[in-house]
Amino acid sequence: MSTAEKYLKPEVIQQISRLDLRAQFIVKGFLQGLHASPFQGFSVEFSEHRKYTPGDDPKDIDWLVYAKTDKYYVKKFEAETNITGYLVMDLSRSMGYTYRQELTKFDYAICLAAALAWLMIHQQDPVGLLTFDEKIRNSLSPKTKRRHLGDLLSLLANLKPEGNTDVAQSLIQVAAMLRHASLVMIFSDLLVEPEPVLEALHRLRHGGHDVILFHILDEAETQFPFAGLVELEEPESHRTLALDADGFRRDYLGELESFRQTYRRECFQSGIDYVPLDTSMQFDKALTEYLASRSARG
Amino acid sequence: MTFVNSLLLAGTALVAVPIVLHLIMRRKPRHLEFPALRLVQERHETNRRQIRLRHLLLLALRMAAIALLALALARPSMKFSGSLGLREEPVAAALVFDAAPRMEYRQANETRLEAAGKLGEWLLRQLPSESRIAVLDTRLAPAAFQIDRSAASQRIEQLAPVANSQSLPAVLDEAFRLLGQSELARKEVYLLTDLARAAWPAEAAARLQRRAAELPELSIYLIDVGAADPSNYSLGELRLSAQLFSSRSPLRIQTDVLRTGPAGRREVELLLLDEAGKLQKRGQQSVELEADGSAGLDFQVSGLGEGTHQGYVRLLGQDALAADDVRYFSVEVRAPWRILVVDPKTPHTHADFLPQLLAPESWRKSGLSRFECETIVQSDLTKTELDPYAAVCLVDPKPLSPAEWDKLAQYVSAGGGLAVFLGRNAPIASFNAADAQRLLPGPLVRQARATQGDVYLAPRDLQHPVLSAFRSFGGSIPWSDVPVYRYWELGTLAEGTGVVVPFSDGRPALLERTVGDGRVIVMTTPVSDLARGEPWNLLPVLDPWPFLILTNQTMLYLVGSTNQQLNYYAGQTATIVPDPSTRYRSYLVTAPSGMTFPLSADPKQGRLMVTSTDEPGNYRIQAGGRTAGVDHGFSVNLAARQTELERLTQEELAERFGPIPYRVARSRGQIERDVSMARVGRELFPLLILLVALALAAEHVLANRFYRE
Repeated sequence: MSTAEKYLKPEVIQQISRLDLRAQFIVKGFLQGLHASPFQGFSVEFSEHRKYTPGDDPKDIDWLVYAKTDKYYVKKFEAETNITGYLVMDLSRSMGYTYRQELTKFDYAICLAAALAWLMIHQQDPVGLLTFDEKIRNSLSPKTKRRHLGDLLSLLANLKPEGNTDVAQSLIQVAAMLRHASLVMIFSDLLVEPEPVLEALHRLRHGGHDVILFHILDEAETQFPFAGLVELEEPESHRTLALDADGFRRDYLGELESFRQTYRRECFQSGIDYVPLDTSMQFDKALTEYLASRSARG
Repeated sequence: MTFVNSLLLAGTALVAVPIVLHLIMRRKPRHLEFPALRLVQERHETNRRQIRLRHLLLLALRMAAIALLALALARPSMKFSGSLGLREEPVAAALVFDAAPRMEYRQANETRLEAAGKLGEWLLRQLPSESRIAVLDTRLAPAAFQIDRSAASQRIEQLAPVANSQSLPAVLDEAFRLLGQSELARKEVYLLTDLARAAWPAEAAARLQRRAAELPELSIYLIDVGAADPSNYSLGELRLSAQLFSSRSPLRIQTDVLRTGPAGRREVELLLLDEAGKLQKRGQQSVELEADGSAGLDFQVSGLGEGTHQGYVRLLGQDALAADDVRYFSVEVRAPWRILVVDPKTPHTHADFLPQLLAPESWRKSGLSRFECETIVQSDLTKTELDPYAAVCLVDPKPLSPAEWDKLAQYVSAGGGLAVFLGRNAPIASFNAADAQRLLPGPLVRQARATQGDVYLAPRDLQHPVLSAFRSFGGSIPWSDVPVYRYWELGTLAEGTGVVVPFSDGRPALLERTVGDGRVIVMTTPVSDLARGEPWNLLPVLDPWPFLILTNQTMLYLVGSTNQQLNYYAGQTATIVPDPSTRYRSYLVTAPSGMTFPLSADPKQGRLMVTSTDEPGNYRIQAGGRTAGVDHGFSVNLAARQTELERLTQEELAERFGPIPYRVARSRGQIERDVSMARVGRELFPLLILLVALALAAEHVLANRFYRE
């Protein structure tokens, strides 16, 4: 594994504190792993020439201009159709949960969002940010400027997952806010009643948006690694339950699977990309999902 | 169940500790934050029930561990046959010694009785102090508790074989009776025996079980002192041709030699005491015996002079049990009996058949005949002196005058024998007259006919002395081959009359009536008819052997031969009837050991009764001096069952005791273990500790699984 690729691992990226570096490392690791440029084959439109500077891809040198001027110019392209992306972050308290005391679900979501933002910005796609708990809390309108990435990352880095959440209501708000068909990337653990959420997702989709739903759970939430008698407390409602973890694991995993299955099925039917993740998974899965969606749009 | 440290049972109260802990110090489950709680909630209810169940299970296991530990430390013990209290509590104990002669069996240089005695002494020392102890053996005597332990010990020391041992169930019965009188709660019977089958008659089992069931706190220990694999030669009981017989008859002695153990060979000799009291060897035979087999022996002695003869048959050589190597016998020889046959002299009556039956020509010629028959014509009866005759036979009699009846009645009352063979000459009126009915068993009613030939003599059983000779033939006697066509049917039978042999139709054929000191035998069909003409029966003419024996036995019965018994089993009362002419008031009895004791005759009947016959051997009864006096004798033998060594199997023993618990022990160790098990019971400590360990282990496993960190 190359140095860059290892940054796809959550436990490695955790050691880097700066979010911009995190995003950069994740994307570089991801791109290196792809062995081919994700930008190739993108339907782009010529926008301008500029002087060749070492480091530019020689392939982009406009040889006609060179023939005329005897100087190296590279062609600069612009995406024919820009995808306006929105990163939608769930700020619920439950997102701050981690069992192994490593990356919380929220950290994982932030890293992923940052990497995606970095990727999109570098691809000239405007990307914005929306955060919500019970309603929309922050919003950053989509831009393509490099400087915008800095703003976006600094906002992401300062987010705190606390407070209760109302995913469905927030998504409906998001749907109302977005004028143009956009790519809506939702980062949430979805630990609420699924029906209203699904309804909101439908509505969002109905508004002509492409939706990628990153369903992020903690590793413990997908594996239920507890044993013996435990008392579980829900961080938002502070409800507690005492139970025997050993005897309960199978039931829990079954319940989780059916929960994910509900989303998978409903999302599939309405053309939403549903990406179940947990905090132990590498980031490339999420990025690949984005690119696949991006290319479908392209 | 009893406890060695019963105070520690209070420790079971500690089971409250886990309950209290359970209630007030419930272990807190690990507190964890878990946002996906809503996924959990759905299935929570069933899980909660599981948790509660596990809690209760843990609680139960902890309580069980504590309770079991407390119980184990109290050292409980379980009893397997009901007893109360602890080892030191006094008991009522009966030490029953099987003292049958077979206990004389010698093994490891001690007899079984000696071995039993030693074990008994040891047992005596094991019994708790203050115990009530009775020592019983198999003699017929009421049991009583010994005054103290030393008296019991002394009683054991004095144990000797008992020639007429009671069966063990009978002795146990007596022991139960005695123990039942004791107020001590715990009762123990120690039976020291060789477990020979002969001592345990199967029919006594029910009574034994019933009696044992009446004593609920009874423990029975069978202490087996028998030889596991005995080896012995034994002489069976002697079968004498007769005990009283005429000087002309030979004495035939039959017996068996029985082998217990591997095949072998033995010499058997017959010895007779001569007049001078010296032993004369009169026969020796050798027998080859298969393993556990038997062989018959047949000695014949003739030429015995008149008087009482005694002797014995013995096995030569030594074996482990000497008591059954010798068998004694006594016989009395006297002159042939004179029989008067009264012939009616009528055309159809052939009175000479009877003398032929009683004293066949060939026997007479060879001098072997037991009887001397003299025939007179019926009309000469009045003038004939009857006293010299042992019996008078009326063959198909014609009417007799009252004087003749009277004469016969006097003769019979004085001890004579009268045989009447009724036939065609008998008129009802004369025979039903009061004079005749003094002797006859009942009035004549009519002549019954059975022309089909389906009526014959049909003895029901062979218990009567007249029929004793048939016993060895079993059911193979061809009675039905010889038909009886006509016979006299009798009315109501007189008092004191018995039917000896009935016909196959149930009516009496041969009847017996006792008159005074004598007997009258009446046959309701004659023995004097030829086969041709219209015979009343074919008894004397058609294959007559059963009838020959019957007639001879009837005559021997009439003359009193069969009721003279000279051979007894140990313990039986010997009765000798001396000749009326030579009676004395007192006699001197010489026992086999040489000991003598005086004996008075029964003043009324002159009978001599000897009750102390415990010692096997030949006894002599003398009176009136050596030359002029009388010399009687009888023999006492051990009953065969007293020396049979064959042992009971486990199944048979279990059958004898039925539901009554008993223990069989062979060694001191076994006895100790059995007794302590019954008194103290089996210690449950190891079992309980094991259970404690199991409970703790289960608790540990469950708790670990439950509260895994």
